[in-house]
Amino acid sequence: MRYTHILAPIFGALSILAAWQFLLPLSGVPAYIAPTPTKIIAVFFTQTDLILSNFLPTATEAVAGFFFGNLAAVMFAILFAYARFIRMAYFPVVLFFNTIPILALSPIIILIFGLGMTPKIIIAAIICFFPTLVNMIRGLASASPNEEELFRMLSATKFETFLRLHLPRSLPMLFSSLRIATATAVIGAIVGEWIGADKGLGALIIQATFNYQSDKLYAAIVASSSLSIALFALVALIEARVMRGWAR
Amino acid sequence: MSVTAVDARRLQIGYRNGRDSTTVLSDVDLTVPQGEFLTILGPSGCGKSTLLRVVANLLDPLGGQITVLGDAPEAARRARKTGFVFQDATLLPWRTVVQNIRLPAVVGGRQARALPESRISNAMELLGLSGLEDRYPSQLSGGQRQRVAIARALIDEPEILLMDEPFGALDEITRDRLNDELLSIWRETGMTILFVTHSIEEAVYLGQRIIVLAANPGRILNIHDLRPIKTDDNACQREDAAIVAEIAAQRRLLAEAS
Repeated sequence: MRYTHILAPIFGALSILAAWQFLLPLSGVPAYIAPTPTKIIAVFFTQTDLILSNFLPTATEAVAGFFFGNLAAVMFAILFAYARFIRMAYFPVVLFFNTIPILALSPIIILIFGLGMTPKIIIAAIICFFPTLVNMIRGLASASPNEEELFRMLSATKFETFLRLHLPRSLPMLFSSLRIATATAVIGAIVGEWIGADKGLGALIIQATFNYQSDKLYAAIVASSSLSIALFALVALIEARVMRGWAR
Repeated sequence: MSVTAVDARRLQIGYRNGRDSTTVLSDVDLTVPQGEFLTILGPSGCGKSTLLRVVANLLDPLGGQITVLGDAPEAARRARKTGFVFQDATLLPWRTVVQNIRLPAVVGGRQARALPESRISNAMELLGLSGLEDRYPSQLSGGQRQRVAIARALIDEPEILLMDEPFGALDEITRDRLNDELLSIWRETGMTILFVTHSIEEAVYLGQRIIVLAANPGRILNIHDLRPIKTDDNACQREDAAIVAEIAAQRRLLAEAS
C-alpha cells in the first residue's frame, strides 16, 4: 500500500493509546499514579491558561538556550579548528568542563543568576554546547584530501577554503547535532526550573507531583515533548532547505 | 612556444614525515614538449599519481629539479597554467553542475576573476553537458560527473592538463567514449596532457608517448614513443594490429618487472 509508511506508525501509536485507555481502569492502578489518555487531553482544554502560562517560559528558555549554546559552540569550533595553539591550550579545559554533571552545576548557576529566566537559558545553552562543539570541529575537518587539493590547485585563500569548502562540509554534522540539541535544550530548561522556579513546565511537573495531580503531571510531560518535537521539526525543515540536492 | 611543458632532472619524489621521508620514485629524467599527450602507466604504488602531484605543485619534490613551462611548479599553479582532474571527480555536492564549473572563478584570491560566461557555456557544450546546468552531482552518472570535472578544469584554459586516472572508476563503454572525446578536446585546444592510468589499453590508445613505471622500488621502466604506429594527429584504431601488439608488449614488460 502506498501510504503504509505513514499509516503504520499512526496505527502503532493509536493502538498503544487505546490499550492504555481501556486496560488501565481494569488493572487497578489508582488514577493519582496514572491517568487515562482522555483525562490528560482534557487538561489541555479545561486548564488551557495553566498549561500555556507554564509552556511559554519553558519554550522561551529552551529556544534561547538552543540558539546561544549552539552559536557559541559553532564559534568556538571555528576558533579551535583554525587556531592550533588555542585548541591545544583550551580544548582540554572544555573537555574537563563537560565532565561536570549539569545537575551539579545548575545550583551554582542559579546562585549566581537568581530565579529568573537567565539561569535556565544558561543551563540549556551549556547542555547544547558540547555535542555541537565536538561535531562542528569534526565537520570542519571532514573535507576529503582531494577536495583540499582542489582548493589548493585553485590557489584559494584560507578564508575562501573555510567559506566554500570547510563550512559547507561541516553542515551535515552540524545539523545532526542540532537535531539532538532540540531535545537536550528542553531538558536543560526543565532541569533549571526544577531547581528553582515558580513557573515553567519544570515547575509545573514538581508541583503536580507533590500534589498527586497526575493528569497535570502527564499533561506537562506531553507539553514538553511537544516542544521538543516542534523544535526538531523546525530544525529538520531548515536542514532540508539548506541541504537540498546534497544527498550523497 | 619552444618552452618545454615539463622538464625534470634527477627528480626524487616521495613523502616527508617530519624529519623522515619515504621515497616513492627516484631519478626521474623527463622532458615533455608543449602540446604532447603523454600517458603515465604503472601498477598501484609505483608513484604515478605522486609524480603528477609534484608537477601540479600539490607536493614538493624530495630532491632534483623540475620546471613547469620554464618556471617553478608553484608559479605555474598560481598562474592557473596547470589544471588537475581527480579520479573521483571531486565535485562539491552542495553546488549544481554550473556552480561547480564556475568554482575557479569564485575562489583563488586575486587570481579569481570574473570569467566570461561564454567560457562556461562553451565548456558545457564541449563536454556535452548542456541541459544539466542545475543538476546536483548526486543526480549525475559517473561519466557525467567526470565530464563536469573536466569542464571545470578547462574554463581556466590551462596550458597543461594533469589527469589522475580520471576514467578509472567508469565502465568500459563510457571510458572508451570519454577517451575519444578527450582526444578531440586535446586536438582542438593544443594543450599538453599528462594522463595517469593503470589501464594498459587506455595508455596505449591515448598517448603519443607512454611512460611505464614499476613499483618496489618505484622507477621509470621505459619511455616509449607511440607516434610511429599512429597518424599525425595521434589517432589510431583500437583493433589495429600494431596497437594490439603494443598493448601485449607493454603487458609483458610490466609482468616481467613485477
